[in-house]
Amino acid sequence: MRALDTKLMRDLWRLRGQALAIGLVIGAAMATFVMAMGVHHSLTETRDAYYDRYKYADVFVSMTRAPRSIVQRVEAIDGAAIAEGRIEQFATLEFPGRIEPVRALINSVGAGGQSKLNQLVVIRGQGPVIDKSDEVVIDKAFADANEIGLGAHIDAIIYGSRIRLKVVGIGLAPDYIWSIAPGELVPDASRFGIFWMGEKALEAASGRTGAINALSLKLERGASEREVIRHVDAIVGPYGGTGAVGREDHLSNAFLNSELDQLEAMTTIIPPIFLLVSTFLVYVVLGRIIRTEREEIGLMKAFGYGNAEIGWHYLKFAIAVALIGIVLGSSVGWWMGRSMTEQYAEYYRFPFLYYQVSASVFATGAALAFGSAGIGAIGGVRAAAALTPAVAMSPPPPPIYRAGMVEKLGRWAGISAVGSMIVRHIARWPGRSAVTVSGVALSLGLLFATIQFIDGSRAMLDNYFFRAQRQDLSVTFIEPQNEKVLTELASLPGVLRVEPARAVPVVLRNGARSERVGIEAAGSDDRLTVRVDAEGYEVPLPAAGLMLSRPLATKLALAPGDRAEVELLGGRQTRTTLTVASIIDELIGTRAYARSEALSRLTRDGTPVGSANLLIDPLYRDRLIIELGEMPQVLGLTERDAAMKLFEQIIDENIMSMMGFYISFASAIAVGVVYNSARILFSERAHELATMRVLGYHRSEVGIVLLGELALLVAIAVPVGCVTGYWLAQLMVSMFSSDLFRLPFAPNRSSYGFATLVVLASASATALIVARRVARLDMVRVLKARD
Amino acid sequence: MSDAVDTKPSKRRETAFVGQSLKKTYITGETQVHALRGVDLEIEAGEILVLLGPSGSGKSTLLNIIGGLDRPTSGQLWYRDTELTALNEAELTRFRRASIGFIFQFYNLIPSLTAEENVRLVIDIADDPMPAKDALELVGLADRRHHFPAQLSGGEQQRVAVARAIAKRPGVLLCDEPTGALDSATGVRVLETLAQANRELGTTLILITHNAGIAAMADRVFNFLDGQIASIQTNDVRISASEMVW
Repeated sequence: MRALDTKLMRDLWRLRGQALAIGLVIGAAMATFVMAMGVHHSLTETRDAYYDRYKYADVFVSMTRAPRSIVQRVEAIDGAAIAEGRIEQFATLEFPGRIEPVRALINSVGAGGQSKLNQLVVIRGQGPVIDKSDEVVIDKAFADANEIGLGAHIDAIIYGSRIRLKVVGIGLAPDYIWSIAPGELVPDASRFGIFWMGEKALEAASGRTGAINALSLKLERGASEREVIRHVDAIVGPYGGTGAVGREDHLSNAFLNSELDQLEAMTTIIPPIFLLVSTFLVYVVLGRIIRTEREEIGLMKAFGYGNAEIGWHYLKFAIAVALIGIVLGSSVGWWMGRSMTEQYAEYYRFPFLYYQVSASVFATGAALAFGSAGIGAIGGVRAAAALTPAVAMSPPPPPIYRAGMVEKLGRWAGISAVGSMIVRHIARWPGRSAVTVSGVALSLGLLFATIQFIDGSRAMLDNYFFRAQRQDLSVTFIEPQNEKVLTELASLPGVLRVEPARAVPVVLRNGARSERVGIEAAGSDDRLTVRVDAEGYEVPLPAAGLMLSRPLATKLALAPGDRAEVELLGGRQTRTTLTVASIIDELIGTRAYARSEALSRLTRDGTPVGSANLLIDPLYRDRLIIELGEMPQVLGLTERDAAMKLFEQIIDENIMSMMGFYISFASAIAVGVVYNSARILFSERAHELATMRVLGYHRSEVGIVLLGELALLVAIAVPVGCVTGYWLAQLMVSMFSSDLFRLPFAPNRSSYGFATLVVLASASATALIVARRVARLDMVRVLKARD
Repeated sequence: MSDAVDTKPSKRRETAFVGQSLKKTYITGETQVHALRGVDLEIEAGEILVLLGPSGSGKSTLLNIIGGLDRPTSGQLWYRDTELTALNEAELTRFRRASIGFIFQFYNLIPSLTAEENVRLVIDIADDPMPAKDALELVGLADRRHHFPAQLSGGEQQRVAVARAIAKRPGVLLCDEPTGALDSATGVRVLETLAQANRELGTTLILITHNAGIAAMADRVFNFLDGQIASIQTNDVRISASEMVW
């Protein structure tokens, strides 16, 4: 080994604490990068393989009822490759001893579970016989959640008739990677299942012999999805078609993609913060090393070492530090990615899961780590190269302190000599002080921004469940009912109030822009569901015209006063125009609202009731649920409290699993920054501190000089960090928002407090570790040594 | 003047330090260095004592032990009624704080503090200090009190160090080569200030030097050799710093 490399190894060993602290920060960058990219890559690959192997369709459409022959007409559309029709039938399930409603969506499949598109993957058992009305395959999540095995029986009410179903298989399908019951906000596998039944059997059970109510198709390569959808809508429209959608708008795929987008957002926000901090740290630490090794550098140059060799020697230090981070981060990131992918596998249903982090992810992460350490090293390396041997070998000029503003302020405030030492040292090294402040601030900001997600989720929960929804129960009907059903519901014991709800599927257009959406109707005196904006304020429905949610208005480029073209889907294919009366900033979905009267003028069908919201006396809850379940026209019941509890549970699980990561990552920054600042501070001030000990200062008093400066910098960093966190959280909220939901920026004051506490705790612990060195100061050496 | 190895002071004054069989052994790697090989001493309050001797003869080790910066390996040392060798770390710190003023060869001023603040650094923890301005006046630097060390010459810095040492009115001033880094004129000025403190405040002054000329200003001189006091020289007449042969 060359002598310089031996020196490098010894330097690394001597500065192992500092090198490791920077390595931790780089490691955190690398870990989040590898984890997010790895999970993103694995999920994308798994999704694509699943879609490809099990023929996930490209276009989906539902209708009220259409003859099976329509499939050939759709398949004949230019650009359509394969079309397939099926029946999708809701069923209410009865579980002895359980009163809360359990529902299933039963899909028809061909003989033995075969189909051309959206193929059923039977993972246990077998596919259903085509005409056996009691055989079903049930989805794995539902089976697991309800502990249902092969051969079990489930009592179901399908289209008004009670049928005892036999579970012959447990399976999955690519169009149900994610599923949710209609009217629900949170998926609940224990209360909503996806079933598959033989086509003939389901035709008979649902009264749809020779008919279908759903259709999917695969496009030819290069076909225009938009054009095909236009043709499909034209064919299906008369049969009550609710508008065809592509994969992008297909619920299961849309949810998975929004998750993937969030992972991508994570890689663009979090690792750069860590990399920035590590660049700062390398800059500061290497700068200090070069200042202390000034005479050695002069000596080496005097011996004939060139600038390039000396620069390379110090650059290698940065590279070695980055290498520590890369090794640490890669392994931690790989492991975290695997556990996160496993978590996704619980939530999204895949028949197989590839967890694979490609070499390119590691290589990109490593390149970023080397790059940021390298940039940090540039300043120091240039300074080393710029030293001429003669200058370098003479001792450095003493640091110049000035009696500037600080002096006057100090005298004015009557601060002690020790206070002046602290304040002036900070002012003397403004760059390094700024690095400490910004590093700690970023650590606090990052932690705050990540825990703010939990606040955001809770605010969304509060907004949706407490402010917007005030009903206890929502009743969904098998098909729209006339208004008489409201009277019937109101007469049930314990029902305090009934309000109808309906949504009319339409396509909204503005020039070339169009969106498929359900216009939700509301009466003028509705009290159970109201529209609440992101701030939690109730927004009144305009007397006439449409109210659009902000993202919908943005997509369609519509503003209040503009006229939107409205095409009714399902049944009457009327086209008309409506004025956009107002825009609402909502948290969930892309939605449109109108007064019931306005809507029924449009649909000219009276006011059919799609579902109803009930306010009930809690004493009658159990009895009501049973009675409602027995009503033949009732498809399902949604209990607000149960949904809310489930949502809370998901948030809590998220807290448990993610909080550890957030805290350790934010602490990694705080520890890295404070440890390095403290070590540099200590090495610079060791002489002064020893002098003070000689003068009669106790260890604790001397420690104040060291800790006081750090404490002051951290104290400055706390408000800066709160502002940084505020800003970072808003950035993250906007990047993590999707069409499906937007997390509100609703920080809890305690989140600031918690983030501050965690950062203060890690900063204090780190500083105290360094402060212990004060006890080991060699006073005797000071007497002889020149500073 | 006498060459006898008699550690008793000639004139009877109050005793400041009494040391018995002071030994100090350093272990560096595999070798033992005997820095002090059994030193007995008595130092009177208010005297000027010079420790003379070649490098490594043990004078700095003794000074450090007297100042409470180091402990002997064996032996006992008293300062007035206190047995220093029985004190713990915190008690030794209190002893330094109350009774000892240090002056170093390389001044050891805090570069981020002005002359006055360097003096205040000691005043802040002293029981009965003089005002910083008075201390600086004693060393003739009152008008430069707002200057930082980097803005002062070496001699001025050392005078600030002297002001810092005397500001708390210490019983003992310990000076390790106080003029080692100074030219003769500046050195004389510093020594005059030290002698003035001894005269006016009654401070015991213990000085290490390589410069035999300085010995003339002392009451007594301990000549060190190989970790022992080889001889003690008593000056019946002290000469002032300005009369010294540098």
